[in-house]
Amino acid sequence: MTLLDMPPTATPPVVSLGATRVLAGASHHHAVSYAEHRALAGPLVYRTHAWLCDAARQVRLLGRGGAAFPVATKLAALVPGPATGVLVNGSESDPASHKDRVLMRSAPHRVIDGAMVVGAALGTARITIAVHDPLAARALADACRERGDAAAVRIAVTAAGFVGGEIRAVLNAVEGRPAVPDGRPVLPTERGLDGTPTFASNAETFAQLGLLAVLGTSGYADVGTASEPGTSLGTLLGDVPRPGVAEIAHGTSLDLLTGATGDRPVLLGGYHGTWSRERGLRLDRAALREHGLDWGAGVLAVLPRATCPLGEVARVARWLAAESAGQCGPCVFGLAAIADDLTRLHAGRPVDVSALHRRLGLIAGRGACGHPAGAVRFVASAVTAFSDEVRAHAGGGCGRPVLGSLPLPGRAA
Amino acid sequence: MSARRRERRLVVDWTRCDGHGLCARIWPERIGVDEWGFPVLDASGLDEDDLRSARRAALVCPRLALRVISA
Repeated sequence: MTLLDMPPTATPPVVSLGATRVLAGASHHHAVSYAEHRALAGPLVYRTHAWLCDAARQVRLLGRGGAAFPVATKLAALVPGPATGVLVNGSESDPASHKDRVLMRSAPHRVIDGAMVVGAALGTARITIAVHDPLAARALADACRERGDAAAVRIAVTAAGFVGGEIRAVLNAVEGRPAVPDGRPVLPTERGLDGTPTFASNAETFAQLGLLAVLGTSGYADVGTASEPGTSLGTLLGDVPRPGVAEIAHGTSLDLLTGATGDRPVLLGGYHGTWSRERGLRLDRAALREHGLDWGAGVLAVLPRATCPLGEVARVARWLAAESAGQCGPCVFGLAAIADDLTRLHAGRPVDVSALHRRLGLIAGRGACGHPAGAVRFVASAVTAFSDEVRAHAGGGCGRPVLGSLPLPGRAA
Repeated sequence: MSARRRERRLVVDWTRCDGHGLCARIWPERIGVDEWGFPVLDASGLDEDDLRSARRAALVCPRLALRVISA
């Protein structure tokens, strides 16, 4: 069974690429127990707020939810105290990404360790883990019961949806409001859980912080590059040598992960990410940025040759349009118009290409969250990377079916 | 106080904007509309001469979606 036709309840395979740290001992059919976890990870080490800020800065730890914000900056913005909140965002919402679900289902203690370390550093017991995935929620709840120190950790199961994973939407959801971002952006470090300043970050960020506390900065930097020590989790998808979720040492060649794809474009970052034909890239967020690329949600995908790329992109574009929270006009109307343009391109019907490009250029930055900008990045880069397909379809089509190789929720591939 | 003046900008709360278009009508030099009637703002900051027009544009919005902020 491949990642593409797996039922949503199945955990994707954990692919070992030799850099196993946070996924040590984890596999798709096995959740690491607390005894195993402690044997593998060693005793939990609590650190001060100052130590954690400094260490996160030294190892240049970046948030793992997609925005890659420096963790040290976020931590340093908070004043420790019992009212300060800690929010673990485990509401992985990009259907192409499975890394957080695999981490929470298979190695839940890594995430809890990180949450406990951050809670201790911030002098607070107000820790909430927000999750969409019911199996991950169960694994985390079981793990909390298994250990003596996590009784205060609250697990909130929030509604699914792409925009629902955005941190301010998650904050609204855990407090019982609709899971949509507010129109006036306020950072969680200013107003988070119950209106108090909160350290909010992605589940993998917490696992990395737990690891950092135990290993110290030099141990943490044993793996990875000087510009970005350590590892990242990623989802390898489609026609790649080892599909599944992998822990990847920074500096690893992306060509190695995608296989020899010839000149086929690679999707980097997920459904808010970028299609690119560049080769010779390495997993290093700063270096990727210099190429105008982004590791994003940690997805690398290559389409199988048997499916029509334009049809695949149009199908995801329609889903992205439907995932708009419906709050902001440019997102509601713009993404719908762009999805319609892509559907027509795929079907070989006439499209005003200059209007499509104008639309693609007008939407980013005009919304309450990053969804319209991300969706436009995905579509615009696809139109460029698959320009040969766009030309072929102008003459009627390519004759290949749309296999649904890019996963969408609730739909069999 | 820093001697450097904070830059003022016009921002839209997109969750409130319904595309009535009054802002673009009152200040067409700096506010356009897209094909669906939603404002397209010039990204540059506001200088003293712009402030009066910017505030007038913000005031006519029936949804109170437009604001002048200092950032």
